Amino acid sequence: MPLKRREWFSFSLRDTLVTLLLLLGASLLCFLLQIENATDSYAFMVFLLAVFLISRFTYGYFYGTCSAFISVLATNFFFTYPYRNFNFTLPGYPLTVLCMLAVAMIMGAVTSRVKQAEQTRLDVEKERTRGNLLRAVSHDLRTPLTSILGASSAIIENDGVLSREERLKLLSEVKEDAEWLIRMVENLLTVTRMDVSASVKLHKEPEAVEELLADTLQKFGKRFPDWAVRVTIPGELLLVPMDAMLIEQVLINLLENGVLHAKGATLLAVSVHLGPGQAVFEVMDNGAGIPPERLETLFQGVSSRDEMEPGDQHRNMGIGLSVCAAIIQAHHGTLTARNNPAGGATFQFTLPLEVSP
Amino acid sequence: MKTKQRILIVEDERNIASFISTILIANQYEVLIGMSASDALMKITSQCPDLILLDLGLPDADGMNIIKSVREWSHTPIIVVSARERERDKVAALDMGADDYVTKPFGTSELLARVRAALRHAENSQGSAAGLTATGIFECGALVIDFDKRRITVGGQEAHLTQIEFKLVALLARYPGRVLTYDYLITHIWGPHVKGDNQILRVNMANIRRKLEENPAQPKYLLTEMGVGYRMADMDPGMEEPS
Repeated sequence: MPLKRREWFSFSLRDTLVTLLLLLGASLLCFLLQIENATDSYAFMVFLLAVFLISRFTYGYFYGTCSAFISVLATNFFFTYPYRNFNFTLPGYPLTVLCMLAVAMIMGAVTSRVKQAEQTRLDVEKERTRGNLLRAVSHDLRTPLTSILGASSAIIENDGVLSREERLKLLSEVKEDAEWLIRMVENLLTVTRMDVSASVKLHKEPEAVEELLADTLQKFGKRFPDWAVRVTIPGELLLVPMDAMLIEQVLINLLENGVLHAKGATLLAVSVHLGPGQAVFEVMDNGAGIPPERLETLFQGVSSRDEMEPGDQHRNMGIGLSVCAAIIQAHHGTLTARNNPAGGATFQFTLPLEVSP
Repeated sequence: MKTKQRILIVEDERNIASFISTILIANQYEVLIGMSASDALMKITSQCPDLILLDLGLPDADGMNIIKSVREWSHTPIIVVSARERERDKVAALDMGADDYVTKPFGTSELLARVRAALRHAENSQGSAAGLTATGIFECGALVIDFDKRRITVGGQEAHLTQIEFKLVALLARYPGRVLTYDYLITHIWGPHVKGDNQILRVNMANIRRKLEENPAQPKYLLTEMGVGYRMADMDPGMEEPS
């Protein structure tokens, strides 16, 4: 697809620098050659090469065409007889000009095609990831919805028959499933926010780590009141620039994973400490740990069908973790998982203390 | 027989209005429902509810306009109900005159706690003289604040707070269970010209927590509402947990 009209004249600092550099390089080369010998025949070739490279490595037609003109004038003025003077009556001159322009145009078009192909490839990749995500999500949504529908129907249709305990048990399962669905939806909403552009617009503010934890644990405690979480924070007030809502989501996802997926876990702990130029957050459990073969692909979410083992973990923790990874990446931090020597797993993420532009 | 307090629910989603109303009626409140902004305003002026539960996501108008209108002539407590992402809306609503908020989806116990706290504060402010300083003793768990003597003790041990720190705690303790926004706190402690920088508030709150709380990351009394403000835990004996 040829370039759209406005793309003919796209300006950028990088392209300007590239152009100037190449033209200067060509000029320098010609000056050197001039010292050695007359450059009447060399100059054209050197500048043609320059125009070729400029058109190949800049975007749009502007730089290529401009450099073609500049090159033609430069060769004429500096490097062809009479030197330091213009002479437009040289034989074959119009052909020279046309040649340079043609090269510039053609290379410009080729470059744009290459760029377009790359863009298309990225788009296809993105679509595929989104497709996988949607598939995984639909799969995951069905299970709690089935149980909600089942439980509520059971209560309605068996009104006289069920005991109070049975009713309450079914209802609390409905509640549990609804709470899980809410988390899933929140994760999805974050995914859509992340998806809009490669550089996510986060709303970063310096937040007090202890306040973040207090708020997070309050929310966590409402959903899982039976779980005690041990919290360790530095003695001094620690302010870290972050999008609090998103980091809270990371913490809740990690804590929830501990509750739902760490087999045999009885304890959860969250700690924050100061590292070199960063704040280090850790969420630990004392469960069975993560199978070593899963450690590699833990944060890649749902990239392939085979990852979703049927029956096991119908509540896929992949989505939650890939959301965490995306959020931390957007903060220019790192997210890792490891198994503890004493048993259980630790998820660690870092947040830089300085906001990078 | 005690007159029931009347609550107006302004909510256009039928199922949500339904479960809220069920819960409120079960807890001895009288309930009115308004399905749109205009309906709500009409009911507010004609029925004078004791409290308004306002959904910020109404179809025909911005909930903020309702808050603004109502605040022009009444101090009726308003609790806004909003969706999770709209943090700025919540803060704007609170600064515009709303008393508290609940975030959708919410549990009924949270809603009831907010309703109780808001109604209690409305009663208190009507009863007392227009004094801006609280008097008497405030108790919440092991925390005891003596406003007259300007002393704070936790589990019998006296805590040594600076003047600013005491003012902050006293202000929060005047409205237990109710959220006070960053702007509100800064304006009332430091004056209206310090806006835009929460840092000084955060630092003071951090110091206070270290003096009063066992674990500053799991506070029992001074609760954090991220992005919005702070809340003093409610001493309401009806709660299992300070909320």
